[in-house]
Amino acid sequence: MNPDPGTPNLLSLAERLGRVAYRNQGRSEARPHIVVDTAICNSGCPHKCTTYVCPANCYTLDEMNQVHFQFEDCIECGTCMYACDQGAVAWSYPDPEAGRGVNWQRG
Amino acid sequence: MDEQFDCIIVGGGIAGLSAAMTLARAGATFLLVERGEWSGAKNVSGGVLWGTDLHRLVPNYWEEEDGGWERFVNHRRLTLMDAGGAFSLDFKSDHFDAPPYTGVTVLRSRFDAWLAGKVDEAIAASPKPDESFLATDILVESVIVDESGAATGIRAGGDEFHARCVILAEGVNNLLARQVGLEKEYVPADHVAVGVKEVIRLGRETVEDRFQLRGRSGLTNEFVGAATDGIDGGGFLYTNTESLSVGLVIGMAALRESGRTPYDLLNAFKAHPAVADMVRGGETVEYSAKVVSTGDIRGVPREVYMDGLMIAGEAAHLVLNAGRAIQGMDYAMRSGILAAETALEAVEAGDTSSAQLQRYRQRLDESYVMQDMKAFQGAVHLLHSPHMTGALPRMACDFGREFFTVDNEPTRKATAILRDVRKQHIGLVDFLKLGASAARHL
Ligand SMILES: Cc1cc2nc3c(=O)[nH]c(=O)nc-3n(C[C@H](O)[C@H](O)[C@H](O)COP(=O)(O)OP(=O)(O)OC[C@H]3O[C@@H](n4cnc5c(N)ncnc54)[C@H](O)[C@@H]3O)c2cc1C
Ligand code: SF4
Ligand code: SF4
Repeated sequence: MNPDPGTPNLLSLAERLGRVAYRNQGRSEARPHIVVDTAICNSGCPHKCTTYVCPANCYTLDEMNQVHFQFEDCIECGTCMYACDQGAVAWSYPDPEAGRGVNWQRG
Repeated sequence: MDEQFDCIIVGGGIAGLSAAMTLARAGATFLLVERGEWSGAKNVSGGVLWGTDLHRLVPNYWEEEDGGWERFVNHRRLTLMDAGGAFSLDFKSDHFDAPPYTGVTVLRSRFDAWLAGKVDEAIAASPKPDESFLATDILVESVIVDESGAATGIRAGGDEFHARCVILAEGVNNLLARQVGLEKEYVPADHVAVGVKEVIRLGRETVEDRFQLRGRSGLTNEFVGAATDGIDGGGFLYTNTESLSVGLVIGMAALRESGRTPYDLLNAFKAHPAVADMVRGGETVEYSAKVVSTGDIRGVPREVYMDGLMIAGEAAHLVLNAGRAIQGMDYAMRSGILAAETALEAVEAGDTSSAQLQRYRQRLDESYVMQDMKAFQGAVHLLHSPHMTGALPRMACDFGREFFTVDNEPTRKATAILRDVRKQHIGLVDFLKLGASAARHL
């Protein structure tokens, strides 16, 4: 056996998002830059794919299998805009002053 | 504001800054608007800027003590992985060692900010230093289009700004290209991928010792196969000055099919024995994600110009990933330069109509950007074929396991091993087709 299996530091998503520098973190109310019509998610969406393809897990399922969205953790990648083929996602960029979003330190 | 700029550039990423540098050098007036708090604050890439155009924009950039780049590439590796093995094509050569280097690793938040500083210097040295601006922390809300259908400026931060022409350099999530109708309103998942990445700090000495680097030399390693657990896509590991950029690019449609999450796939990649040995002991200092075009030419907008407007960089889906490297930043740089050259010519001629701006399309077609994108479409499709992420890496690793293992048994010749390995993983006809396709397209 290799004495040092060399396990790398594997992080949970929460730990990863803890390493993202978000803008306007001090603000109690930031203006949402993405609006999701969850009525569409919860009536006819056959795959609910945004609940797993979003790299920041902004789309979640509750015990009743209902989709919920929060924009606060969004890292502005764009994925959900393409992945959702049901027309539920109105996607835009955060407002620099009033919105949330990222300040990459390395990128 | 009544004043009219020669040009307005939307986006201060690589395409936008390259256009700005070209305009500043020629003494044209422009306004560049970037939504990030600084140029680079919103940008993510894997991290290799290929080619020598950087030397064109910032001559002898390597002489600067603390330039915006990380390491120059003199060692390249392409790895085919199965669950436990890694079979690599590895190339190192001293011809890579002399400037102008043909590839440098970058961290965009630093690199773009540095390049923006160079553009500022060029503005200051231009004949009209007070008439061109890099404005950050402002979101462009829309393009102003007049009754005739020509772009005449932008709306941003509650104001209107006017110019003889507009260059959209807004990146892959090109909302304004959609607004003016050059991009489809809904872009489906087919021609995009999602990139996820960690920057892992090891310290300068560890990076250099572990990867056998010297001074500012660097290694690039791309991975296919088990890197994405067989899902369409691949992995990368690039050396920065004191950290590694480690990540995956996963086909969006395939990811949606798979039911997997990008962050779990990234953990599985980091835990692969070959990768684990490279990242061991490192501290993740940033996690990021961004959509990237796949390089399928069908994703490029029908047209990249209209009356008063051109689209540069990834906003026009100018990216190539044909197995050799991901090329998006060098394409952004070159297309930004070409759009600016076209703008200069058009302003000079007093005509920024589409009839004049179609010269941009011609310039792109004549450049290596469109020539390579066209020539390597077959390779792009080959790379996305299931065999590339499935059978082929498994064959290579099975072959490697037998070929490189010395035990006290009679040894089989390589051809015999190959024949056996091939039979286990892929039908003969498929194998021959794959070989023929590779020979034709690469
Ligand atoms: C994970 C990953 C790995 C990659 N690896 C590589 C690689 O190794 N090598 C390579 O060459 N390419 C790579 N790429 C691709 C490369 O990053 C892009 O193709 C390249 O960054 C495109 O440059 P750009 O200037 O066109 O767009 P961007 O770099 O996206 O810049 C667009 C700019 O416009 C700004 N903007 C957008 N909209 C507005 C608005 N409305 N108002 C104001 N500002 C706006 C943005 O804030 C941004 O600064 C990778 C991409 C990803 C995601
Ligand atoms: S894919 Fe679209 S409709 Fe389906 S759950 Fe996600 S956001 Fe809702
Ligand atoms: S843009 Fe990216 S991070 Fe933000 S909600 Fe959509 S998928 Fe998630």
